[in-house]
Formats: sequence, structure tokens, C-alpha cells
Amino acid sequence: MLNTFQQSAHSALPTATADEASRQEFAKSFKGFIQSGLLPGLTPVYQTRVSRAFEKANGRAPADRRDIRAGMVDDLYFQHYAAANRIAQELLWESVNGSVDRQLPQLIEKAKELSASTPAKLLIPEGFEPPRYVTALDIHCMPGGYCSEVCADDISVGALYDRGVYLYAMGYTGPDNDDMGRSVVNYLKRKMPDFKPRRILDMGCTVGHSTLPYKELFPEAEVWGIDVGGPVVRYAHARAAAMGQEVNFAQMNAENTSFPDGHFDLVVSHILLHETSGKAMPKIFQEAFRVLAPGGMMVHADLPPFDLMDPFTQFILDNETWYNNEPFWGAMRDMDQVALAEKAGFDRAEVRFDTAPMAVMEFAAAAAGYSQEASEHVAERDFTAGEFAPGGGWEVLIAHKPEEKALAA
Amino acid sequence: MNDMTMTEEERPHVIRHAKGKRPQFYDTPGLDAAMSMIMVLANEMCVLRDRLDSAERVAKGSGLDLAAGIEALELDQDALEEREQRRQDFLQRLFYLQLKDADEAAKAQTEAVYNDTIADIAQQ
Repeated sequence: MLNTFQQSAHSALPTATADEASRQEFAKSFKGFIQSGLLPGLTPVYQTRVSRAFEKANGRAPADRRDIRAGMVDDLYFQHYAAANRIAQELLWESVNGSVDRQLPQLIEKAKELSASTPAKLLIPEGFEPPRYVTALDIHCMPGGYCSEVCADDISVGALYDRGVYLYAMGYTGPDNDDMGRSVVNYLKRKMPDFKPRRILDMGCTVGHSTLPYKELFPEAEVWGIDVGGPVVRYAHARAAAMGQEVNFAQMNAENTSFPDGHFDLVVSHILLHETSGKAMPKIFQEAFRVLAPGGMMVHADLPPFDLMDPFTQFILDNETWYNNEPFWGAMRDMDQVALAEKAGFDRAEVRFDTAPMAVMEFAAAAAGYSQEASEHVAERDFTAGEFAPGGGWEVLIAHKPEEKALAA
Repeated sequence: MNDMTMTEEERPHVIRHAKGKRPQFYDTPGLDAAMSMIMVLANEMCVLRDRLDSAERVAKGSGLDLAAGIEALELDQDALEEREQRRQDFLQRLFYLQLKDADEAAKAQTEAVYNDTIADIAQQ
């Protein structure tokens, strides 16, 4: 299935010259090739030569993902696979970064203009200190990370993220990069048709990809996106205005927001938790519980825990930890999220994992490059470790805060 | 800030390198860099191919079917020779180091001879 998915333009998004666009398309194609052409070869390479060599050397079969990794790193096929993955990531960011750099002053001016055009709030507090877990390394090798500012009113890493993540996801998350948010809203609407959140908080929203569908599908709700990165929330605010959505954004830490107790009916996050830390994650659950009103819902859409998969699958997924500046990627999957939710105050019986089916096939077909057939192909794949957005849908952790009556009882 | 009148050097620029030590994947020194360079070149090759494709499509939009003309083009003797010469020159440049190695072998230029020469000249 040829992937011809194209990102939808909006007026905050960087444009690309013909050559820049070709460079970016190549990065996307290269990632697609690695996933469909190189990734499958890791299984026979492991099963035939690497596990046998390990057994010969150690007198036992590889027992866990660490053993498998120890064997695989010496194998030339794996070296080519992992190097290609890393190089694709570097080409991807560079292909966008050069383009952002060329038009940076114009992008900053455009973002300011868009932000000024909306009544939605944008809060950037003075002297905000982002946590070390996002500044120690540039996560997923994105130059500058989420927080770096090269000048006043800077949005450069926001622009870089908007375009770069589209390429990283190879368009699988739809023309507006919003499939995760859209899928969670679809899930909630189907499972709980009477649930009508008045206020919604999206934690770790970056540029608001997943945030906007909440406003679109719950238009009466007041929607807030928060993130520790100043440039990304600034860009998010401009992007929402460009897309005609009135969504509020603030630079805040999800561990400790400035919202009052019980302020929100729905607190969500999308691919946030694996970019935090062992100490931050429990605090984020506690903060979500605190700001939730009785009867409210917490939903974290992230990656499935390791205990749900075999060691070889774990090994493939853990490559991100080692090779893509994702320090918490592996450790996060070893955390007992249900226990964390319970510790934060949720009733264990009201916490569960589920799968939110990908919404991409429902809305994408009208967009450039998204044929119905190709969109369905993305949405209906089986789970395959190492693929972006492994088939089967998004893994969601759902927790329901008890009604006040239940609390009093 | 962000003054549109700033020069290219003065104006803000994006950060080009991601913070964090880059892992090495290969045992052979230099191969990580070489693979990266190969993929950057492959990228630029695709950019050129896309541009040629665009040229054909733009020309066709203006009534000139370049693509069909290219397929139908019959190369005359001059063109055949010109192209073959260009390919051979390219291959020579591509295999520059292998050819250099053969040349050194033919002229008995060894590392030992090279080092001896340096030592000799230092004393002259």
C-alpha cells in the first residue's frame, strides 16, 4: 500500500520550497521503508542466528529484552536497521529545520498575528522552569527540544514539531496530526453518550494536535492545553486560531497546575507519560485526580505496558530508549499504571486499560493523499512492534473519579 | 526582536543539533558517519529526481510533453559517446580510492616508504 498521505496546510504551518518538500517526503518514505522493509527482517535474524549465538555463548536461551539486546547489537543486520532508524530521524528533523530556519522571522510574526486574533487565553508565566526530564536530552532527537527559545516570542520548535511529527507519524495520525485526540473523543462518545464535559484539560499538549478535536467534538466545553514548553504552547495558540478553534493554552507543569480543585470534568493526555519520569508520573496522576470534578474522567493515551508483550517485542520497542533520546520510554512501560491511579485516589474498580480504535479512516478520506483504502489499511493493521501507531488502536488508561455521594458513603 | 530588517546573520536561527550523545551502531570506525553521508546523498538524489519530474510536469502543462519526448528520443552517435564518457568519468570518480590503491601498488608506494620519506626529508 503506497503511503501518499499529505499534511493539511494552515496559516501557522511552515511552507516548503519544492526541494524542501522533496527532502521531507524522502524522510517520510525512508521511515516507511524501514518499517515495512527492514523491521520484518529482525525476527528471522534473531530467531536463526542471534538467539543461537547467545545460547552458545551463555549456555542458556535469552531470557528477557536485555539478553536479546545484548545479542542483537553485535549483528550487522540489526546495526543497519538501528542506524537507518536513527539516520531517518536525523534527516527528518534536518529536512524540516532548514525550512523553518529559512522563514523563521515570518513564522514568528504570523504566529503573533494569529494569537492576537483570538479571544482564547494564552498564559506564559515569567520565570517558568521546565522539569529536567524534558531538558536533559532533546527528546526523540528533535533539535532544541520543547523548551528552547532562540529569541523573544519564539515558536521555532513548535513549528518544527508540527511538521516533523507529521513526517514521524508518516501521516498515520491524519492530515491534522490529531488522530489520538479524535480517537479518544470517539471512544468516549460511543461508550458514554451522556458524558458532556464542561471543562477539559489536555496535559502535555505540545502544539495542540490532540487538543483541538475535544473542542470540535465538545463545542460547548472550555478546553485548555498545557505544556512545559513555552514555544510549543505559543505555537499551539496560534495554530488553534489558524484552524478556527477557540482553545486556551498555558505553559504549566502537569505535576502541579494552577487550576482549582475539581475544575475539570475530563483530564486527558496523549503520548505524554513516556516523556516524563518515574517521580513525575505519580504526581501527574495525583494532579489529574485533584483537578477533576466528582464523576470526572481521566484518560491517558500512551503506549501499552511491557507486561502485555513478549520479550522480543519489548526489545524492539525499547530501541527508542537507547537510540532516540527517549530516556523514560522503557521504564514507563514497567510502571504499574493501575496502581498509580489507585494511589492517586481513584477506585481500583474504576480504572482500566482499553483500546480506542483509530479514527483516521473515518475522517481522512477527504484529505489530500488519503485514499479510503489506505486509511483503512492504517487503521486495521494487527499489532506490530516497531511500527508507528501499532495496529489495533491507541492504548488508553481510563479512570473514573467517584461521584460526591460515593465519596461521602 | 524579530525585526524584519535584521541581516541573515543577526536574525535568530533554529537549533540544528539535538542535545544528547549520539550512539554508534557499527563496529567499524567511521562507518556511522559514512552511512549518514550515503543517506544524505540518497536524499539529494531523490530531490533531484523529484525536480526533474516536476520539470516534466510543468512543461507538459505548458504544452511540451518532455517525458514522452525523453522516452522517444533516439540518441545519435555523438550523444551515445557523450553519455558513455560521462558515465565512465563518474565511475572513475566513484572508485577513486580503489584506483588510487591500485596505482600505489603499481608504484610500490607503501606506508613504510611514506614514513621513511618523511624521516629522510626531516634530516636533509
